[in-house]
This record gives sequence, C-alpha cells and structure tokens, in this order.
Amino acid sequence: MTYQKAPPQNTVVVSVGTKRGLFLVTSQDRVQWNVEATTLQGRRIYHAIFDQREGCRLFAAENGDFFGSFLRYSDDFGQTWQEPRQGIQFAQDSGQKLENIWVIEPGRSTEPGTVYVGVDPASLWVSTNGGETWEPNMGLLSHPTRDQWQPGAGGLCLHTIIADPSNEARMWIGISAVGCMRTDDAGRTWTFANKNTRAGFLPTLYPEFGQCIHRLVQHPDNPEVLYQQNHCGIYKSMNAGDEWIDIQQNLPSEFGFPIALDVHHPETIFVVVEAQDGRCNVDQQFTVYRTQNGGEQWEPLTKGLPTGAGVKLGVLRHAMCADTQDPCGIYVGTNTGQLFASRDRGENWKLIADFLPPIYSLTLTTLV
Amino acid sequence: MSPVTVSLPFALRAKAGHRASVPVVAQTVREVIDALDQEFPGLRFHLCYETGELRPFVNVFVEREHIRSLQGLDTPVSPGATVHILASVAGG
Repeated sequence: MTYQKAPPQNTVVVSVGTKRGLFLVTSQDRVQWNVEATTLQGRRIYHAIFDQREGCRLFAAENGDFFGSFLRYSDDFGQTWQEPRQGIQFAQDSGQKLENIWVIEPGRSTEPGTVYVGVDPASLWVSTNGGETWEPNMGLLSHPTRDQWQPGAGGLCLHTIIADPSNEARMWIGISAVGCMRTDDAGRTWTFANKNTRAGFLPTLYPEFGQCIHRLVQHPDNPEVLYQQNHCGIYKSMNAGDEWIDIQQNLPSEFGFPIALDVHHPETIFVVVEAQDGRCNVDQQFTVYRTQNGGEQWEPLTKGLPTGAGVKLGVLRHAMCADTQDPCGIYVGTNTGQLFASRDRGENWKLIADFLPPIYSLTLTTLV
Repeated sequence: MSPVTVSLPFALRAKAGHRASVPVVAQTVREVIDALDQEFPGLRFHLCYETGELRPFVNVFVEREHIRSLQGLDTPVSPGATVHILASVAGG
C-alpha cells in the first residue's frame, strides 16, 4: 500500500530505510501503527528523512546493488521521486568515486534551503536549494591528513552530521574510521575532536584520528555537550568535542552503534550495545539501555522486548531514533526487520512492524 | 553507417524513456556510453564511476563477447552490432 493523499497533521511518521526499500510507518496516537510502502522498493536505502522547513520534502539515500548511488526526493510522501539537476558526483579528474550515500541532514532552521549529505568516500556535500544541486565541501576533501584515513568495515563513510543551531560557523561530522571532526569556520577547515576516545584496534590507543566513531548526538539546550557511541566506548563531551569522558559505566559492552536523546529531558540518553564478536544482544535478552543522568548510570529496558536463546538482534548506527513528544517515543529497528517502539521513554515496548527487510535507518517526523 | 543497437536492462529503461533498446552511432563501447549519456543525460553514471571506470556489477557484451575479455571500454563495435548491458548475476 502506498499513500494516495497526505497523512493528516500531527501524524507521527517513522521513515524506515531498509536493504530492500523505503517504508513509512505512521500513527495518529503512537498506539496503532500502519506500514506503508513507498515506490522506492528493492533498493538499499541507507537513510531517509523529511524536511519540513519549507513544504514537506522526503529525501532518500538510494544505494543500488548494480547501477550506482543516488540521492532522491519526493514531495508526495514517496509516491513519485525526483533526482537533483546536479547530483552527488565527484569531479571526473578528482580520482574519487562515489561508493555509498550514508546520511542526509536538513540544515539549520535559519538556512531553510540548505541540506547536508555524508557519503563514502568520506566527504560532506551541501545543497543550498533544497537538494536540486550539490557541491562537495572542499575543506574536508583537501584535508592534509586525508591520505592517511582508513575505512571501517562499512567503508570510509561520513555517517553523522550536526550543524550547530547556536553557531552558524560550527559543525561536527563523524567518519568511520577517522573519528569526530569539527569546523569553526563554516567548513573551510576541519580539526579532529577525538581526545580521550580509544582506538583499541590500532597500535596507539589514543591517536589524534583513526577512531571508529559510530554515532554522535548533540544536547538540545547546551550545544557544547555531545554524546557519542563508538566502536570502543560510549563518551560525553562537555566542551564541543575538545575532550571526551568515558560514560560506559555499568553498560555490559563498550561496543554499539546507535544513540538517541530525549529532547525534553536531555540528560536522558538511549543506546543499544552489542557483543563485539556477534554484533547482537549481549546475552539472551534484547535490551535498550537508558541513562537519566547524562551517563553516570545506565538501566536496562526490557519490558516488551524479546528474550530467549534464539534472540540475536543487531541494531545499525542509524536504526534508533526518538520523537519530540513528552514522554518521548523511542524507536529501534533491527537488522532482521523488526521495528520496536516505546511511547513512554522506554519503559514499555511494542513490536509495531515485523518481516521488514533488514533495517538500516529510522528517522522520526511529526507532520505539521 | 548502420547504428549499433543497445539492449538495456529493465532497471535502466525508465531512464531511457522506458525503451528496451536504443540505436546509437558508435565505433567503441566507450562511444556507445557517450552516445547514451548524450541522449539520456545521467545514464552514464549508472554504468560508470566518475573516473570513467565501468561499475563492477555492470556487464557489457558485444554480441556474445564480454568486453572485460576483449578491450574493455575500447572494444570496437561494428555497424549493426548489438551491445547488451546487463546487471551481474548476484546471490546464490
């Protein structure tokens, strides 16, 4: 089923990027959910997100198995799709070739036409006209250490972009396996922001760069506070990434991909951690972990989540998100196609969709 | 000069006006791709990386011969020949 008309105002929409297409999971009350297929089917959708700053445009990162990677956008809830006039392609003489498009982030509210995209090979792309044309950020492409950057298992992917809403010259990006980088001059130059984060897979435990950051989020009220899930730990920074504090505390593993934050209670963070060897839940209980004090202590959330010897669920880096209601909803998608939701800050969980293809990403929109 | 007939895979036909085959005038496979991209802007990027290199899971045959075992993109095509563009076999 695909949409024949726009869903009503206040509909909660979870955009679900999967190995075989893009789905929209919608609800009016966060109790009853409907799964709708868009017309982007059969293709790897690494990420998709609505941009409601001007209209309601749905962007999708389509990575084909055979015929290349393309950014697309839809103004009718995924029924028809357009390609940019000038898409994401490196210059022919650059020697670079686009491998995958990893993440799409609408820019600040003060720059309504600006959209950012991160790709493999690690580069940041910018559109200032709602996605119609794209240019690479040259400061990052010409970074003096670039020839020393090494890919993680997913490639040399730029997977996280945060445009600081309080400072138009400041952004952070996350690259696997390079680490966190920050610009303070609107992208002209980029510096590493990895101090005290580990690279347990390198001969040097605390290098300047080479860390495998998995995901990064920003505190909504204090823009200098960041949280990151990393290949080697969970960290908090109080000073915009200059230094990081290990907040793994009582979590049963240092390894996990996703991280999400409750915007009304921003000391409340959610993570899923995994056994490194199997990349699935640490024991027989699939668990989301929550801290309500900025990482001093973590509590397991399990009510409604599956348990048993056969439960081996993994969650990829973009496959968890929160809504902006209070109490906030949390959404977790697995690499075996289950979508779980909680509408009470993780206290109780419900399977709201099953038998989806492996889930790559979730983003949340409440329609205005 | 008789045109070359290019047979397109289903996944790319929408990009080519929903046509299964397209006639082009070309003397090499590279010129075939140039001609396709001229008529259907953007089609080249589905077949080749920015560097010009053919994507790894795109197979091109001149009649029954795979161009990887001939001269790659410089493989000559004769007037009236058929060039098949296909996705690789994938999966088990």
